[in-house]
Amino acid sequence: MQADTTEMRLRALMVAALDGDAGAYRRLLSELTRYLRPWFARRLTPAQASHAEDLVQETLLAVHRRRMTYDRSRPFTAWLHAIAHHKFVDHVRHHAIRPIVHLDDDAPIFAADDSANAADRRDVETILADVPERTGALIRETRLEGASVAEAAARHGMSETAAKVAIHRGLKSLMARFAGGAK
Amino acid sequence: MTDELINRLAADLHPVRPRTLERRILAAMALGCAITVVGAYLFLDLTMGRPFGGAYGSPMFWTKAGYTLAFGLLGLAAAPALARPHGRIVWPFAAAGLLVVLALGLGTMGWMHQGWAREELMGRTAMVCPWLITLTGLPVLLSLLLALRSTAPRSPTQAGTAAGLVAAGFGALVYAFYCGETGMMFMAVWYTLGMAMTVALGTVIGRFALRW
Repeated sequence: MQADTTEMRLRALMVAALDGDAGAYRRLLSELTRYLRPWFARRLTPAQASHAEDLVQETLLAVHRRRMTYDRSRPFTAWLHAIAHHKFVDHVRHHAIRPIVHLDDDAPIFAADDSANAADRRDVETILADVPERTGALIRETRLEGASVAEAAARHGMSETAAKVAIHRGLKSLMARFAGGAK
Repeated sequence: MTDELINRLAADLHPVRPRTLERRILAAMALGCAITVVGAYLFLDLTMGRPFGGAYGSPMFWTKAGYTLAFGLLGLAAAPALARPHGRIVWPFAAAGLLVVLALGLGTMGWMHQGWAREELMGRTAMVCPWLITLTGLPVLLSLLLALRSTAPRSPTQAGTAAGLVAAGFGALVYAFYCGETGMMFMAVWYTLGMAMTVALGTVIGRFALRW
């Protein structure tokens, strides 16, 4: 219902604009801006969020220059979506193949190797063997692999609260054993 | 900044009549055909000495005219849809493929009845026919691609293919008026090859020229 009224309102504005009504056209474009800005922002990575405004403007420009491709008998929202989608895909492609770091500025590869980390990881595995298996897995997933508590809990078929408690107890017992009983 | 853009665009608003896209495509097709007709007369008739209507009166002339016109019309059916940002259309291309299969099938049968005579396949102009057909299609192709540059094709490649199909059909149609060949297999192989070259050209150019 919501979508239907939006479609009808925007289509009426677009048809009026195609007939030369500048007021309707201005209203249409500013309404589109309101919808397009969050739409692009949601789809962009945080590093590129600042491009949302550019994309909104490019889309408005495309709507303007290619408005003869709108068929009055077809839905306006679908047409607009196709244009915005095209601009978004174009943007992603354009930026995906452009290197962000120049070769000369890139960090050297042979400055540090992974063997120290590997030793650390072996130690961690040894220590985690001291707590119950499921608790060890929960700790590894949430603290080392970056999963959220909710994700890890779901993976083991337990509630989020139970997972939190298990992780807390496990860490506490490890602390007691390896850190000299610190609280 | 965006508000400024909106004001600029609103000030630049000109009315757009319904079916403008279709009319632009037809106008571009007509312009290209006009150039091809004049060019074909100057080049094929006056320079190469091919008389206009070389195969008039033979049923094969009408077969060639119908065959080529069909591709042009199929292209015209596909072009407006593919010039739109959410345009998808398959049947004209499927129909064009079927038409080629049909022509090759009929051509092979006719050729068999002639005892696989070399004349039926090669005629006298097999080596120039595909190139000349591509050449006669070129003005239509360029005119159409130019018109499509102000549209918003979902896939520039497919829009180029549609433009190529229109150009192939109407270019070959004009060529058929200066072609004296009467073999069905000749048409099925060499006309089709010439048109395929035009379609391929349209696809490749469209892929780059129709980006927006």
